[in-house]
Amino acid sequence: MAMLTVENLEASYGAVKALHGISIEVAEGELVALLGVNGVGKSTTLKSISGVLRPVKGTITFLGEPITNKTPERIVRRGISLVPEGREIFGSLTVEENLRLGAFSVYKRDRYKADLEEVFEIFPILKDRFHQAGGLLSGGEQQMLAIARALMAHPKLLMLDEPSLGLSPAMTDQIFALIDSLRERGSTILLVEQNAERALEIVDRAYLLANGAVEFAGTAEELRRKVDIASVYFGDEDATDSCEVTQ
Amino acid sequence: MIDLEFVINTLSLGSLYALLALGLVLVYGILKLVNFAYGEYVMVGGYALYIAATLLGMPWYVTLVIAVLAAVVVSYLTELVAFRPVRNKSANAQIITSFAVSIFLQNVVLILISSRARAVQLPFFFSKTVTIAGATTPVRNLLIIAVTAVLLVTLSVVMKKTVLGMAMRAASDKFTTTRLMGVPANLVISAAFLISGLLAGVASIFWVSRSASVDPLTGAAPLLIAFIAVVIGGMHSTVGAVVGGFVYGLIFNLLSITLPASMISYRDAFMFVLVVLFLLFRPAGIIKGGYTEERVG
Amino acid sequence: MSVMTRVSALVRRHSTLAILLVPLIVAGIAVNTFGSQLLIDMYTYFCVSLCMVFAVQMFMGNSGILSWTHIGFVGIGAYAAGILSTAPAVKSMGVPNMYPMLVDLNLPVLPSILIGGLVAAAVAAVIGYPLMRLSDFAGVITLFATLIVIHVVMTQWDNVTNGPRTFFGVPDWTTITVGIIAAILVILLAYWFRESALGLRLRATRDDRYAAAAIGIDMVLVRYLTFVVSALVAGIAGGLWAHYITSFSPKAFYMSEMFLLLSMLVIGGSGSISGAFSGTVIVTVARELLRQLESWINNAHVLSFEVYGLTELVMALLMVLVLVWRPGGVIGGQELRWPLIKRSGKDTTPAEEGQAAA
Repeated sequence: MAMLTVENLEASYGAVKALHGISIEVAEGELVALLGVNGVGKSTTLKSISGVLRPVKGTITFLGEPITNKTPERIVRRGISLVPEGREIFGSLTVEENLRLGAFSVYKRDRYKADLEEVFEIFPILKDRFHQAGGLLSGGEQQMLAIARALMAHPKLLMLDEPSLGLSPAMTDQIFALIDSLRERGSTILLVEQNAERALEIVDRAYLLANGAVEFAGTAEELRRKVDIASVYFGDEDATDSCEVTQ
Repeated sequence: MIDLEFVINTLSLGSLYALLALGLVLVYGILKLVNFAYGEYVMVGGYALYIAATLLGMPWYVTLVIAVLAAVVVSYLTELVAFRPVRNKSANAQIITSFAVSIFLQNVVLILISSRARAVQLPFFFSKTVTIAGATTPVRNLLIIAVTAVLLVTLSVVMKKTVLGMAMRAASDKFTTTRLMGVPANLVISAAFLISGLLAGVASIFWVSRSASVDPLTGAAPLLIAFIAVVIGGMHSTVGAVVGGFVYGLIFNLLSITLPASMISYRDAFMFVLVVLFLLFRPAGIIKGGYTEERVG
Repeated sequence: MSVMTRVSALVRRHSTLAILLVPLIVAGIAVNTFGSQLLIDMYTYFCVSLCMVFAVQMFMGNSGILSWTHIGFVGIGAYAAGILSTAPAVKSMGVPNMYPMLVDLNLPVLPSILIGGLVAAAVAAVIGYPLMRLSDFAGVITLFATLIVIHVVMTQWDNVTNGPRTFFGVPDWTTITVGIIAAILVILLAYWFRESALGLRLRATRDDRYAAAAIGIDMVLVRYLTFVVSALVAGIAGGLWAHYITSFSPKAFYMSEMFLLLSMLVIGGSGSISGAFSGTVIVTVARELLRQLESWINNAHVLSFEVYGLTELVMALLMVLVLVWRPGGVIGGQELRWPLIKRSGKDTTPAEEGQAAA
């Protein structure tokens, strides 16, 4: 059974409809990506799942229970953590305080210490920066902190919104390697990425979104085979047969 | 002219203003709400003191607790009943709501008590004077300095060391992201209103002690002082509010001793002109702080 | 195309104006013909209130900035017009300390009111530019502080205003006819302004200041120009009010009055002409009813004590209820158009609500 089921999700920003009935599924242990160009509704989908945005229509079910229209803080407690686009580090708080807030919903003194050690193992750099203000970290370090902060809540489902955005190629490699290793450790991950080529290297399955709807769904292999990814991003309509992308 | 007496006067006035400014900016920081009802928390504290001390003749330490509690409770109630339902509405709707709350509270005391000022019985030692190194000053001036120091230290420890404090600092930086950490929106906002009410309540005791009376319009002046101090100090940081309060106290006292007698009645106007000029050159205030325009919603 | 079809096309295009102005005129004529003196006075007051509300609406509705200052311009216009039109003998008696130069001034009423508007606009022009640079907290506070400065000056400058004491002896000039004509002119101005080049640019900065800046709109400048124009209208409204009420003091131009104006705008919806109009109607009627109730309670000794402040208290409650229930105002930021019932309220798109809330 799927861990997360999103059915016919519709959302809008004012009069602008961003999602026209999106349906996706994520099973436990899977690494799934939402792909597509800017403005097709990838981030909007994540925001709706995490409760930041109230969907107009549709249902979201997590672990068999409906979570549509729940507040973000309740959804975190259910076990879904979002690493928001642009990292959203608390700049005036130290790395330590950022991590402590990440553990807000699950805090237990003993476990917290162990969790910190585990995070330091994955992200050694954060140990060095432990007492520095989050705003003073580099972009890549901030992204690591954002992911680490989300992991502190022991999410059953981790959602990452554009983790490679604005990072150097070397840092992007590191982040993708990290996501891959998280999956190896058994995390369930829903990833939103513009860098489709890179994402398809590590994900199990992917959904290709276009104009607020799912255009194509399949395994990474299928997507790579059937859809000329380059055409999606450069708007060359003739290059696709199975998937018609209109810009 | 600048002697120890002036220093003590300025410090005590600055302390009072700093408390007022801090209470206003705590709520603004998180909710981005300009709370025009804030002065009424001071007014309510004053009336609680009047009822407890003058009418019921309770012991002074009980009356002080009651005054602070009344301000805290009213602050929290306004959050619950008025501000929470309009939390997702436009900034202008929120400001109008806070002004309506202010008018509502003023008229409640107007109807229930009176439009005329009521004498407030203060602790006997408040108006006693002491002489330190040749400077004579009422005890209440020294008390407000001490109380403010204790409150500021306590508050900064709470904000730095407790999870709630971290959550509040995080929320005034990025509210939505703070909720994504699992921090309930209502928790940080209620906490902000409770602390805001606490500061207003403490300030109300010292505010009322200056004239030893309270009337329905008592809240207007503290509100304006808090506004000015916050604008001077910077509306995006708590440190700024405290600095602004002390700076305002200093300017006010300097104007009082330097303005010719015929101009004293324009002192308030001078203060505001100074504020506007100040904003011209430094729109963000003395302390800039992490500037975000995100609103709750 | 015959004249008739042209007229009907014009009415159709500007049906909002017809929906608002026709009842205003018809009700005015009815009140003037059949109403008691009290009712005529109330209607005149309502028309003057409309002038004030639309002065504020021009600025606030199009810029999205909550302005506390405008009641100050109303006051400046009232004092300037009153000083100009009141007979020197009355002034020298009523305002003992007035500058001799001002005492000697005497003009007919209409030019006095217009000059009063210009004085208010001049003050706005001098102080406005720095104010318009600020947004958010600082903007709200400085406009609020500006009102306080204006008020302090009014209450302290007794060589001009008679200080906190009453300024009296202003000629009674603003009749119901004058009121209706003025209200119509101001509504037409506000309606035209909204669609004018300046109004459109200002609304662009309200909806998205960065996008507006990107297409070359100088936000501070368009705000500033509108501020001055709306101060002119507010000043004229003040002059009209002064010649209706004939005696007044600075406290008529302070926070509680500004709150009333703002509540008219917010209850109706500041974004639209129809909203400002209906808000003025609702608040005027509600306040009058509450006043009657309050004086009835006090006169009939229903309670063992007298209630003062009930009107304000209930008005404040109503405001909060409207804000919770319909943050964009009763009208919801749209204009009333012919035919009136075209779509139900539920069809309001979120965009329009968002615009109204701005």
